[in-house]
Amino acid sequence: MAVEAKSLSTPIHGVDDEEAELREQLMFDPRPREELNRMVMESMVHTTPRYWAVVAFLAVVVLVCLFGAWGYMIATGIGLAGVRKPVYWGVFIVTFVFWIGISHAGTFVSAILRVFKAEFRRPFTRAAELMTTFGLAAGALYPLIHLGRVWVFYWMIPYPNARWLWPNFRSPLVWDFLAITTYLLSSTIYLYLPLIPDLAMARDRTKGWRHAVYKALALGWRGTEAEWARLRKAITIFAFAIIPVMFSVHTIVSWDFAVSQTPVWNSTIFGPYFIVGAILSGVSAVVTILVILRATLKHMDYFIRKEHLDALGKLLLVFSMAWAYFFFNDYLVSWYGGYEAVRKVLFFHSSGPDAWIWWSMIVFNVVIPWLTLWNRRIRRTPWVMLIITLLINVGMYFERYTIVPMTLAHQRFPFDWGTYVPRIEIIISIGTLALFILLYMLASRFIPMVPVWEVREGQEAHMIRQIGKARVPTVSELE
Amino acid sequence: MSEKLTRRNFLKLTGLGIAATAVLTGCGPASRYVLRRPYTEMPEYSQIGKSTYYATACRECPAGCGMIMRTFEGRAIKAEGNPAHPVNRGKLCPRGLTAVQGLYNPDRYKTPVRRSRRGDARTEALSWDEAIEIVRSALNGDPQRVAFYLGLNADHVFDFVEELTRTKGMPAPVRFGALGMFEARATLVEAARQVFGKATLPFFDLADADLVLSFGANFLETWLSPVAYSRAFGDFRRRGEPLKKRGYLVAFEPRLSLTAGSADEWYPLTPGTEGAVAMALGKLLVESGAVRMPEMLENNYRGVNVEAVAQAAGIPQEKLEHLAQLIARAERPLFLPGGGALGHASGLENALQIFALNVALGRVGQPGGVFLIAGEEKADSLESVQTLIQRMQAGEVDTLFIHGANPLFELPKSLGFEQALSKVRQVISFATFPDETSLFADYVFPDHSPLEGFGYVRVLAGTPRFAISAAQPVVVPLYDTRATVDVLIAASGLPYTDEVDFIQQKLQPVFQRSGAPELATFWARFLQQGGYWEDVGESPDSADLSTVPAKVLLPERAGEKTFHLVVYPTQMGDGSGANRPWLQETPDPMTTVMWNTWVEINPKTAEELGIHNDDIVRLVSSAGQIEAVAYLYPAIRPDTVAVPFGQGHTALGRFAEGRGVNPAEVIQSLTNTVGDLAVGDTKVRLEPTGKRRPLSRLESKSGVYGEH
Amino acid sequence: MAEEKQTGRWGMVIDLDVCTGCNACVTACAMENNIPWTGEEDAGYGRGMHWIRVQRYWEGEYPDISPHYQPVMCQQCGRAPCEPVCPVFATVHSEEQQINLQVYNRCIGTRYCANNCPYIARSFNWFDYSQQIPTPMNYYLNPNVTVRRRGVMEKCTFCVQRIYEGQERAKAEGRAVRDGEIVPACAQACPTDAIIFGDLSDPDSRVSKAARNQRRYTLLEELGTEPKVTYLKGEGTYGG
Repeated sequence: MAVEAKSLSTPIHGVDDEEAELREQLMFDPRPREELNRMVMESMVHTTPRYWAVVAFLAVVVLVCLFGAWGYMIATGIGLAGVRKPVYWGVFIVTFVFWIGISHAGTFVSAILRVFKAEFRRPFTRAAELMTTFGLAAGALYPLIHLGRVWVFYWMIPYPNARWLWPNFRSPLVWDFLAITTYLLSSTIYLYLPLIPDLAMARDRTKGWRHAVYKALALGWRGTEAEWARLRKAITIFAFAIIPVMFSVHTIVSWDFAVSQTPVWNSTIFGPYFIVGAILSGVSAVVTILVILRATLKHMDYFIRKEHLDALGKLLLVFSMAWAYFFFNDYLVSWYGGYEAVRKVLFFHSSGPDAWIWWSMIVFNVVIPWLTLWNRRIRRTPWVMLIITLLINVGMYFERYTIVPMTLAHQRFPFDWGTYVPRIEIIISIGTLALFILLYMLASRFIPMVPVWEVREGQEAHMIRQIGKARVPTVSELE
Repeated sequence: MSEKLTRRNFLKLTGLGIAATAVLTGCGPASRYVLRRPYTEMPEYSQIGKSTYYATACRECPAGCGMIMRTFEGRAIKAEGNPAHPVNRGKLCPRGLTAVQGLYNPDRYKTPVRRSRRGDARTEALSWDEAIEIVRSALNGDPQRVAFYLGLNADHVFDFVEELTRTKGMPAPVRFGALGMFEARATLVEAARQVFGKATLPFFDLADADLVLSFGANFLETWLSPVAYSRAFGDFRRRGEPLKKRGYLVAFEPRLSLTAGSADEWYPLTPGTEGAVAMALGKLLVESGAVRMPEMLENNYRGVNVEAVAQAAGIPQEKLEHLAQLIARAERPLFLPGGGALGHASGLENALQIFALNVALGRVGQPGGVFLIAGEEKADSLESVQTLIQRMQAGEVDTLFIHGANPLFELPKSLGFEQALSKVRQVISFATFPDETSLFADYVFPDHSPLEGFGYVRVLAGTPRFAISAAQPVVVPLYDTRATVDVLIAASGLPYTDEVDFIQQKLQPVFQRSGAPELATFWARFLQQGGYWEDVGESPDSADLSTVPAKVLLPERAGEKTFHLVVYPTQMGDGSGANRPWLQETPDPMTTVMWNTWVEINPKTAEELGIHNDDIVRLVSSAGQIEAVAYLYPAIRPDTVAVPFGQGHTALGRFAEGRGVNPAEVIQSLTNTVGDLAVGDTKVRLEPTGKRRPLSRLESKSGVYGEH
Repeated sequence: MAEEKQTGRWGMVIDLDVCTGCNACVTACAMENNIPWTGEEDAGYGRGMHWIRVQRYWEGEYPDISPHYQPVMCQQCGRAPCEPVCPVFATVHSEEQQINLQVYNRCIGTRYCANNCPYIARSFNWFDYSQQIPTPMNYYLNPNVTVRRRGVMEKCTFCVQRIYEGQERAKAEGRAVRDGEIVPACAQACPTDAIIFGDLSDPDSRVSKAARNQRRYTLLEELGTEPKVTYLKGEGTYGG
């Protein structure tokens, strides 16, 4: 097979663009298995002083901005944040929804693309799944940070207790709590399962503490046929099972708002709207990370190619359109309803003192992607994609900001309107951003960022077979 | 595990035991007695203790409402109205409600003190023996060189001091307070004297009237007896059974006050034209032929040019005609001469004209009409204060005693009280609280807080009935304070054993009236009920209109660049409420501003001057200048600005100090013919300063005014 | 949203024609219920703890302008939006008093209830405001009412401590609670008697009669929250 594939790796006269793209996506220039392994291993152990400087800086930021500021807030009171009457939820919830949204794409890219056998996913499923886990870790902090009395947060957990009291299962916050813990758990397992063969690979190629850790984590993986069969089955089950979980998580997050009677929040379309928004921001974040990984991690330019960015760029365009559709739908129906309180809120969004946030959201989420992502050359230029995807995420952050504090600010009684100004929230949010980057950076030197076996599998499974004169792309029976 | 049984284990064991018992007794009744319940019940359900309630008199303002203090384990918990009291009938205003924050204010004087340098917060504690010695030697000096300056609230202290000065041949005490100043109390009393022949406060039976025209009377806020009038307003407004007409209120004020805010019609007239408007209404009534007037008044009204009045007051003539029709149709119209009408150069004339309407329409001594209160009002006009200041200035005062007043804060700065004070050899203050004046006293011999001491309030402006409010201690005095009357008795040698003895002696006539078998019975009942009152009061049987002038001078209108200044008292009262955090945090009813001073400016005027909400503006008068934050108030004349009174303290504890500004700095010392301060005649210039300071408001600026 | 009993439904009527907007209810409530003050900056930034506030709107243009007052406190909804959203049952319906209770020691401070309250009637302890009350000013704190620490939500309780006390007193004396016997602090202080409190399930009580007035309306009626506070519209062209 390898010989055959090698001959096909050189451009064949008459093959159209599409096919060439596929070839790039699937890396039809396979290298020996050992070389792939070596490349991934090298990327893991290769560190520069600059890397450690950044890690140290981020660690300080996390300590000061996240844990320091949070600790100070716990000791003093949630009043250090800018929340007030009637804006009881502010940037903490915004950032929470943002991270949950980010965490979506990992699973989306990985599980949905896996289920639908979108082959271009292969090299970056790991990067995306890691994003899910770390995004959730960062996001799941916020319901705690935001609590007035975080030291009794466990009262939300259903367990037999001295209070003889279950949590209120009618409360969306309890649904939230359950959904997020489920999602965190399942996405962690989903990250871990495909990681096992790679951990075993790493185990066999390291010494010292790393070897010990990988050995423990690899669970004695030897690569027998039975092990592979079980792994594939487990992954498939999880890939299918995690999709509803993923949908439910963000739907439930949206229910935090949608089930309330607050004008503008009370919208039946919030579930899918939030999911689309989450995927848009999540896929953007995947692109952002891929571009950065490609530039900073050794050998990654082999695994992550312009064609991958191109494919994800198309996906982004589609989701930007879908987001615009949902946004417009939600806006129109709310506005057309004519309920005065709703109209006032919508008016405030687009012409209040914070209207720049709303307009930036439109520009970043719709105008910029639509103007740029149709262009193949732009989709294939990493630094442009980096900027676009970062802007999309800023836009999505602004969307949540519009939905949470800017909507709460204008409820039914004009007498009680109140403009929200974030205070310590900004510092803590920077802290969790740093936490996310830090975790990712550390993980990039510890976990094989590319699922070698999956790449390899893709390469082998899609070798184009020659049947007579026709070239037939095939998929391995293994899948 | 230690020997001790932990609570958790105890519960476990108990549970086991119960389970075992239940099993043994065959699920017997034992299980019913063990009920471990989650903490579903609020402590509100489990901590109902026994409270003790004491009736006393509220001494936060001169109104003297009856108050019932709920005490618990020796602590005053909650001030409530005394439902039996004829003035307030169980109701209370924010000031009375926060009385406990005055009692328990951490910044009170705790012992008698000597101050080596005036104005210096540092003091040195004295014993009461030393204090009494100092007072004694002061009282034993030249009687002509002693002066007393008393506030409006404590009637018993005033009565005692009056007796003391009479006995010792000292000049009579000066009694003056900011609330009296803003409602021009002396002018009102003088007008009542001229018309009804008795120098006391009139009582207006708002509750039974069906049309009330208020000329600058802010009776829902501070005027005379605000709780009594608010309560009456409720009755006035409410449709009674079977078919009592809903009362209709018309307010004439340059600035929409809380009272005018509740009015059915509000006319922003030029300040000082109230008397002229009253005359114009009188003329229109005469012309309409609906009302028969005394000939003398008809003659008076003949000379009135309604058009000119309408022009000067800024009220359209047809509105005046409409009002005259309202009055003619009303069964029981009533006309209130408020501080806004009286605090002008023509204040007395205004008052007389307004009284004249009441008299002309036969409203004297009638239900829904004008009565006189039973107590004898002895508030001084500003003139007496000026005389005192002149004496002080001339070095004729060796010792100045101050009780219950804070002249350094309340009086217009332009009077020069502060400079005169420095000429006084010795200043002795009886303040309970380190206010501005006591900071300039050489000695402070703190009185009890009103809730810790005895007393009575004799002048009850809120009822025409014969009534007197009793004050008694509701808690043991917190600190080493002493009742001022006790101190003065000890130092002066007047023949009383103590304050209570003096009060009882003073109450002898009331005791005689009450028909109680002996004084002790009367006294016990007096304290228990919170006072003594009878069912009926006197009513004036005749009215003399001979002094009502035929002409009222129209005031000088504000010029191009100057504005009429309206200074009005708020829930802080005479300013002594500023040390109550909850009075500070209770929003001003009209502006919802908390914890600060603002200047109300008509938005149109502000636009012309380039002033925005929350800009700091400077108010300049010939007397001085202040800087305060602008509030664009939509209900004020464009040629008028208004500033609330009560903030701007340089002393008075942590909650008051350095907060807002004191408009007394810009009030010009103009007086009317009675000698009262013509507080409404002050004119100011407005200057933007370019600085900004957002006001603390409860309302949303964007929600209410569409402003970001 | 527990099933409502047919007796002892405490309710309130506020006659806006009589209400002068004087704010005495605000102060009375604060003094009865140990509500801490927050100071100028926090009070101005929407953190005042007032359980009841008087909304003041303007109608018209100068000189035909008049204020419109509306005291708003927790409306003690029969179907309260705050109740289902609390994850820890800190805001529950009292079966005995048929009002909406806030159980402070259960509250963990998610503030969801406040978001979902259409009347914006809830105040949150952003800081330890009650601990900032200096000695001896804390002497006046009402022993019948919990002093709330930071991080918990609070709101008007219809002075449940007074209701409870009145019920207990009546029970001890072996009689029914008399109409007008139980009054919350706001109604007690209200100088114009604009606030009427009593048992809505008794058709002859003063509050029931007042609630049948043709000027009646409830706040945000369209939400179906079944508030226990009824307002009577002001009559005049001005004020009220």
